[in-house]
Amino acid sequence: MGVRITNRHHFLAVIMGTWLAFSAQATSVPDLGPLPPLQYNKTKAELGKRLFFDKRLSGNAGIACATCHDPTQGWTQNQPLSDGYPGNGHFRNAPTLINVAYKKVWNHDGRIGTSLDDMVREMITEDYIMNMDMRIMQERLKQDPRYLQMFRDAGYGEPSNGKVRQAIPEYLKSLTSRNAPFDAGTMSAAAKKGLQLFKGKAGCIQCHNGSLASDGRAHNTGVPENFDIFLNPENHQAFIAFALFQGIENQMNLKRDPGYYNVTMKQADMGKFITPSLRELKYTAPYMHNGMLATLEEVVAFYNAGGGKDRRKSPLLKPLGLSDDEQRDLVAFLLALSGDPLTTAEHVWQEPYPAEYATIEDWKHVRN
Amino acid sequence: MSATNSFCKMILLLTAAIAGLIIATGSAAQGIAKGISPPPLAPLGPPPIPADNPQSPAKIEWGRYLFFDPRLGGDASTGCSTCHEPDQGWSWAEDISRGYPGTVHWRGSQTIINSAYYSKLFWAGSSTSLEAQARAASKGGVAGNGETDIMEARLALIPEYVALNRTIFGTEWPLLRDAYRAIAAFERTLVQRDTPLDRYLLGDRTALSAEQLRGKQLFEGKAGCIQCHNGPLASDENFYNIGVPGVKRWERDGLAQITFRFELYAKGVSETLYRTLKDDPGAYFRSRNRWDMGKFRTPSLRYTLYTAPYMHSGQFDTLEEVVDFYNAGGVAADGRTTAFPETKSPLIRPLGLTELEREDLVAFIEAFSGEEILIEKPELPPYAPLFTRAQLQAAQEAK
Ligand code: HEC
Ligand code: HEC
Ligand code: HEC
Ligand code: HEC
Repeated sequence: MGVRITNRHHFLAVIMGTWLAFSAQATSVPDLGPLPPLQYNKTKAELGKRLFFDKRLSGNAGIACATCHDPTQGWTQNQPLSDGYPGNGHFRNAPTLINVAYKKVWNHDGRIGTSLDDMVREMITEDYIMNMDMRIMQERLKQDPRYLQMFRDAGYGEPSNGKVRQAIPEYLKSLTSRNAPFDAGTMSAAAKKGLQLFKGKAGCIQCHNGSLASDGRAHNTGVPENFDIFLNPENHQAFIAFALFQGIENQMNLKRDPGYYNVTMKQADMGKFITPSLRELKYTAPYMHNGMLATLEEVVAFYNAGGGKDRRKSPLLKPLGLSDDEQRDLVAFLLALSGDPLTTAEHVWQEPYPAEYATIEDWKHVRN
Repeated sequence: MSATNSFCKMILLLTAAIAGLIIATGSAAQGIAKGISPPPLAPLGPPPIPADNPQSPAKIEWGRYLFFDPRLGGDASTGCSTCHEPDQGWSWAEDISRGYPGTVHWRGSQTIINSAYYSKLFWAGSSTSLEAQARAASKGGVAGNGETDIMEARLALIPEYVALNRTIFGTEWPLLRDAYRAIAAFERTLVQRDTPLDRYLLGDRTALSAEQLRGKQLFEGKAGCIQCHNGPLASDENFYNIGVPGVKRWERDGLAQITFRFELYAKGVSETLYRTLKDDPGAYFRSRNRWDMGKFRTPSLRYTLYTAPYMHSGQFDTLEEVVDFYNAGGVAADGRTTAFPETKSPLIRPLGLTELEREDLVAFIEAFSGEEILIEKPELPPYAPLFTRAQLQAAQEAK
């Protein structure tokens, strides 16, 4: 259903986005604002929802997307570093998936800039995430009568890898902020003061702008490394596997997350990360690509001190001299960007999955 | 010489080669028909060692660890020994092998004992060295389901392995390629050369019982087993369809049905075959010749005392059942047989063996096995961090 056209839109949007960001640097930045509603196909999204919560999408059928993007934990995990595929850990904090369909680049280092289809494939196939041979996944889905029906209803025909990578993005479009005080015009007085600081004295708007409160670009803020990545071999093995796969040299000696360097392979980009959206922070602690900051108070204190220590740190970050009250107001504003938790059946698949695969009856005589 | 000319030459050469092949196969079949004897059974010599992977004590030692180490698989739960259990004949005692968690395999697990002698590995002979075989095993989606990156990362985090690898292969960090070499070296030590049959063939006339001696005569005569199970390994390493029925479980086990389709899809058959096949086409996967449908490599009969159930689809629980199957001309007791009758070997036909003869034959097959080979599983070395907190702190300061 108009998939091609949607893709072309995305492509245009990428170009537009880049151009806007450039001009913003030169002149003024796009203002914060409400998110435009997203159109999506309900039947396809319903299928995507069942897939998202289904552990059979991982190699050993042990974890689902929802294991690391847990609706009851703000569609992330409330721990510094994400779980990994069983047998290994991870080296980054799982991003929330609320509003993820608005983004143009994905992952903390922005290494995927094409489509959510590609992003989903990476999650399913990456050895330290879901480690799934998609050919097995496809045959698993064909063994479930409910999926056969849902794929047909969605107009997809027979279950296939390609269609999974369309259905899940369709579902992700349904995960959008709702009723945030900032959008609803119900901000407290403190939050309103915080908004003024955000745009003015604190200068947050320089990077956190537009309707997502993100410029979608990479900056170095000097967030300290999370040593657990390197001291815990389960996490470290995922990091090394990532570096090996990405072709980052000197993998075994790396003692820091290279961030955006991975995309450009330019030293200047070492330690840069994509500006995250500031929506839904109420549910998504801890913060930063490696979960090093536990609370929003800590984040604001971090910026007030001019960010962390890194000789490549963005020149946009300077000590801010915010008073305690001002810092509290800024936190109040950040919280006003969070809406209702998306934890009901509308967004969460709640029916159980079959404990065993159904048998295809009269197997010898039906077509595979 | 013009291009057309050399092209013609190539065609000519090809035609000649094909003609030669036809003659060769023809004469082999004729030979058997005329009663020209196949290579006799013989004592097993030492296994061949490839020039590019010489044995060494350290390499064998590392290979032994790796063979038992589940970290050489996707979720660190499924290593080689998981499906090649020493106390299950270095195989897995079910019709089809257990699979990677969340899956089941689609063929029976094979014993590792004496695998060093084959030049074609797996039931359908799709791998040509133990080194290549180990790679296929640790990566296959229903076997180890491991990816190179994560497995190499794990090896780097096990200090004992880093040290062993450095002395053996000289690289700073272990490469998976070399880990497979070490596993192959270990497998080349898992051989059995002192069976009753070996002792008999080396001159110990008391090594076989009267019953077994009668069985040997049947094996080499009336029962015709020697036509394929010949030479020191009791395998000619050729491919035959002997009539073995497919996996019964496929008809009633959803998980097994998934793997069946996955294998067809992954090995890349045509859409029509993917939709219609209901049995394992075996050697067809490699050759793409219809006459190879349902053919499998003749396996060795050595060590089979410990490796039940039998055949690629594990459809026979005992050697008695196997002999009954051959006696019936390649048909199981319940009447089931191959789904590809058109490719079945003409060498397989009803044998008319009496009950006593069948017992003698079974007794003789048992002479292909010596003592059970059991070894103590090694205690696996743990992971350790590559850096100290102080080193990380220093790097942080230097940012
Ligand atoms: C084992 C944990 C885990 C599982 C399972 C998992 N993810 Fe993720 N996901 C992560 C982590 C960690 C990241 C960030 C990776 C990075 O920055 O390198 C991420 C990133 C993402 C992103 C990009 C978010 C952004 O804002 O850039 C999307 C979209 C996503 N995952 C969707 C999914 C989907 C859909 C599934 C299931 C098919 C899934 N994830 C399964 C941990 C997981
Ligand atoms: C130079 C651009 C820049 C400026 C200015 C900036 N940020 Fe950020 N912000 C980032 C980047 C980049 C990250 C991600 C860093 C990381 O993950 O290591 C981030 C992360 C955050 C996060 C964590 C979000 C999450 O989901 O983990 C919060 C909260 C935040 N910033 C708030 C602010 C506030 C408040 C201000 C103003 C005081 C501000 N930022 C100023 C670029 C900026
Ligand atoms: C999940 C179960 C499983 C795991 C794990 C596994 N194998 Fe196997 N192995 C099998 C099965 C089943 C076969 C027969 C497969 C076929 O023919 O397609 C086999 C065949 C073999 C053979 C061929 C023997 C012959 O006679 O041709 C060798 C050698 C072998 N495996 C070694 C290994 C090694 C080494 C590893 C670890 C790297 C390993 N296997 C891991 C199940 C497994
Ligand atoms: C035409 C060649 C041929 C002849 C003749 C033949 N075999 Fe076989 N044998 C095979 C092949 C091929 C297999 C494997 C078939 C399969 O798995 O589908 C096999 C398998 C076996 C096995 C099972 C081994 C295992 O590891 O599972 C035994 C035991 C056996 N044969 C014994 C015999 C005996 C006894 C005879 C004589 C009565 C005999 N064979 C005659 C080719 C032959």
